[in-house]
Amino acid sequence: MEEKSDEKKYTTISIPTQLAEKIKKRIQGTGFTSLSSYVTYVLREVLSGLDQESSEEFSKEDEERVKARLRSLGYLD
Amino acid sequence: MIKLREDTNYIVSGLERSGTSMMMQMLEAGGVPIAYSEARKPDTHNPKGYFELEGGKIINRLIQGTFPFESYKGTFIKITAYGLSYLPQGSFKIIYMERNLEEVLDSMETMAQITDQNREETKQSFKKLNEKIKQSLKMRQHTEVLFVNYNDIHKDPRTNIEKICTFIGPHQYDTAKMFAVVDSTLYRKRR
Repeated sequence: MEEKSDEKKYTTISIPTQLAEKIKKRIQGTGFTSLSSYVTYVLREVLSGLDQESSEEFSKEDEERVKARLRSLGYLD
Repeated sequence: MIKLREDTNYIVSGLERSGTSMMMQMLEAGGVPIAYSEARKPDTHNPKGYFELEGGKIINRLIQGTFPFESYKGTFIKITAYGLSYLPQGSFKIIYMERNLEEVLDSMETMAQITDQNREETKQSFKKLNEKIKQSLKMRQHTEVLFVNYNDIHKDPRTNIEKICTFIGPHQYDTAKMFAVVDSTLYRKRR
């Protein structure tokens, strides 16, 4: 399927009506002007948190560094 | 001597040089059963002893999956943070020590007699290990964890001792002796 770049800058996502109502109440009096802008903000925050988490993963390199230190302290053969 | 649950393994953990030996010593002073060997003798880095099994090399047995947890039920043993990556299924109560990471690294360098040229990288690796282990402990089934901060113990031993005793369970602890173990002269790498 071909997607044109000048079209479809936005898409529709369905969320439960009850949740939408809760969000509407929650954003009253805040800087969010619509349900969409709030949901977009929340999703961006979640994704950026996940990116950060994966960049802080304990990698193989980290493990080797830790093991080398434990050897020097006599905790590991 | 206090009698702990015989269906549970009790562990003191945390990064090396985060006060795990002091915690073992406090527990012993309080009348809590602990197990350790004397393969690694006290030295200038731990003048009161290491309180470890197998001379501190228990991690090797954990990696091989040959450490006999069954034999140590109802008794506190020390397994430092990295070793907890290899913890089998089962019922555990864990006291996890935390300490200012810069102090931990300072103390490690003194003990290993090195000057770490890649200190920032080492710091990040230990920080990630610490977070990974803490996170995994929170997710484990049948595992209770108490996080105790080494720096806080020195500031307020009494409150921390109360927390520790409450966590282990309702027994007759010798809290005066536990209190006496907190020796500020051994808190040498301060930041």
